[in-house]
Amino acid sequence: MSDDTPLDAELPLAGLTVLDVSSFIAAPAAATVLGDFGADVIKVEPPGSGDPHRNSFQNPNYPRADVNFVWQLDGRNKRSVALDLKHADGRACFDRLVSRADVMIVNFPAPVRERLRLRWEDVAPVNPRLIYASLTGYGETGPDRDMPGFDVNAYFGRAGILDAQRTEDGPPGFSLPAQGDRCAAMTIVAAILMGLRRRDRTGQGGWVGTSLYANGVWSNGTLAQAALVGAFVEPRPPRTRPRNALANIYRTRDDRWVQLTLVREDKGWERLCRALDRADLPADPRFATRDARRANSAALVAILDAAFAAQDWAHWRRVLRAHEVTFGVVERLQELPRDEQARHAGIIAETTSPSVPYTINNPVRLGFARPRPAGAPPAVGQHTGQILREIGLSDAEIAALRAAGAAD
Amino acid sequence: MSDTADTGGDTPPLAGVRVLDVASFIAGPAAATVLADFGADVIKVEPLDGDPLRRMGDGAGMPKCDVDYSWALDNRNKRSIALDLKRADGRAVLDRLIARADVLITNYPFPVRARLRLRYDDVAPVNARLIYASLSGYGETGPEADQPGYDITTYFGRSGIVDAMRVADGAPSLTLPAQGDHPTAMTLFGAIMLALFTRERTGRGGQVATNLLHNGIWSNGIFAQAALLGAYPEPRRGRQYAKNALANAYRARDGRWLSLVIVREERLWAGFCQAIGLPGLIDDPRFATRAARAQRVPELMAILDAQFATRDLADWRPRLEAAGITFGTLPGLRDLPDDPQLAANGTFIATSDPDVPRTIANPISMAGAPQVAPRRAPALGAHTDDILREAGHAAADIAALRASGSVG
Repeated sequence: MSDDTPLDAELPLAGLTVLDVSSFIAAPAAATVLGDFGADVIKVEPPGSGDPHRNSFQNPNYPRADVNFVWQLDGRNKRSVALDLKHADGRACFDRLVSRADVMIVNFPAPVRERLRLRWEDVAPVNPRLIYASLTGYGETGPDRDMPGFDVNAYFGRAGILDAQRTEDGPPGFSLPAQGDRCAAMTIVAAILMGLRRRDRTGQGGWVGTSLYANGVWSNGTLAQAALVGAFVEPRPPRTRPRNALANIYRTRDDRWVQLTLVREDKGWERLCRALDRADLPADPRFATRDARRANSAALVAILDAAFAAQDWAHWRRVLRAHEVTFGVVERLQELPRDEQARHAGIIAETTSPSVPYTINNPVRLGFARPRPAGAPPAVGQHTGQILREIGLSDAEIAALRAAGAAD
Repeated sequence: MSDTADTGGDTPPLAGVRVLDVASFIAGPAAATVLADFGADVIKVEPLDGDPLRRMGDGAGMPKCDVDYSWALDNRNKRSIALDLKRADGRAVLDRLIARADVLITNYPFPVRARLRLRYDDVAPVNARLIYASLSGYGETGPEADQPGYDITTYFGRSGIVDAMRVADGAPSLTLPAQGDHPTAMTLFGAIMLALFTRERTGRGGQVATNLLHNGIWSNGIFAQAALLGAYPEPRRGRQYAKNALANAYRARDGRWLSLVIVREERLWAGFCQAIGLPGLIDDPRFATRAARAQRVPELMAILDAQFATRDLADWRPRLEAAGITFGTLPGLRDLPDDPQLAANGTFIATSDPDVPRTIANPISMAGAPQVAPRRAPALGAHTDDILREAGHAAADIAALRASGSVG
């Protein structure tokens, strides 16, 4: 797909109105993707502090930064209206928004939706053409439906991913912030688009949904499908005595990791020995054959550990390439800002927001449209007056709502 | 949504959509699976020796099983035609299929697409309404565009996820088979839905694309966004560095892990010691107060490590529950098949295939549009004759194609 393909005159989702009635990451990130492709996304937030995700960047596990980089990523291409949904007047404004919307995204726990009358059956009478997209932690029904779920427990822990990532005698694996949320977001996007297409054909809106748990199981599908037929794999042996020392990772002098992946081992083994300047090894009876190398994998790891630790990553990359040894890169985030491939692939996008000049594009590429350039994300209620005027409220009515605390 | 909201019997939302799956392994084909789950007619176009995924079941990290569970999961609900695209008459068959198709999914490396004339520019003249969905490792252009990419090397390694999963002084964490391929498939499915939605309005097809690298970086978006600002996470500290032995994970005798979350330590310390069978600790001056415990975290952890290793998780569970101790568990794959929460939400669906009686629904739910009953993943070329007849080939034609070795 070349960059000179002619683009459609309009972004593909121009003209659609999306209500983002959600917090934190998976659901709001889905709204972001719809906004990237032209939808008018209105974030409905409680007056005051708004979506608590606005403060996530201060999480102690996140990198320290003075600017709110998290909110730039998940709040871009949205407008914010601050409404108190518990207040009758605020709720009346919300219903007006619902009546004009094409999509509403919700991720509150089921008891909260019930209390705020935000279930599909609560809003469908207002707008039967609405696509109602529901994200839950654990699903719409079942014993755990009311439990709040986050990606670390619902997507990674509960779906068996962390347990399966452990090595023998090792602790469970761990996940990175929102690593599963952003995958679940793409699932919601797809579900919404399928709902919109059906609406174009039938005139009917409807309910679509997904859960973090289901997305975790889907991601872990290969091993989960094996589990369903009763097949399991034992935890992997530790790195120091792997099943295969030539499909293993090694640390370089400057604390980088080389991921060896010798596919055609007979040729690759001798090439590797030459690259390591250990031409003696192929003759060593402990390592002369594939079976011998498997049997003596711990001894081989000790030798390879010492060899790789003697030089920096740059040396190994050059030497391994020169000897045609196949290896993978355990890349560092430090390289991302100047990654030429990431620029070509449209992974990094410029914003018009000076404090966060670059952001991460969503992973959908289109031959007929480019994502909307990201602006600065909205402050809480930044567009309240504008949006309320659009749905027909007069300045006096808006002032009254503000005075009553129903909107801000 | 309650289960009763399903109006079953509705036409599946993608009924009538014709899809050609000209892809191999997992991320590309799994997107076709989701289309098929929602009613599309998916034709898997395979070389005469089949998709190499058919032969992949016995890798070292994969559960051993007589049933080809990986193939069954990612190719259910498809029909297979075996075609030699290098032969002119085989290629002519593909063009006839393309002329009738709505979507073509390919993940072949770009040099292979050029050789087989499978680029968008090659197929668009045959069918201007076609949606061409491209999956690549590293994006459509750029210095690495032609490199083959896999989930482990590209989604996880190259994106910086594996490096960020290091613990301080430790090796990076592991990923699971196809763990990044399945979320990438949802992105590609979403891109296809966006193009189908757009085609309803414009009448035109077009190209959509995603790649493994971008999906990895998107998943790791928070750290990637921080990296774009020059902020980076510190490597995670291992469990041995816990600041509080009572907020840590412990391993039971059967290898299952539980994570203690003892918030009200003062009230629960004595009960906790009783529950785990170490009443002598209650008044042990080394651990009797919160301040004392905080000073001797490794010492207390060593005692707790040894004690939790004496019983299975199932044995610890009632003891801890009776004492009011909050704890989480990390289910293993063995726990998934019987999880009532998954059953309640239809995450596993029954198939008509006795070898693989249950499979994993894709994570999208849609009211009134149940996923179709899963049909067995096809044998190589199982539907070659049917598909050729549907494309208008006479019996004599089919015989000639078979005689020339262009179809199988």
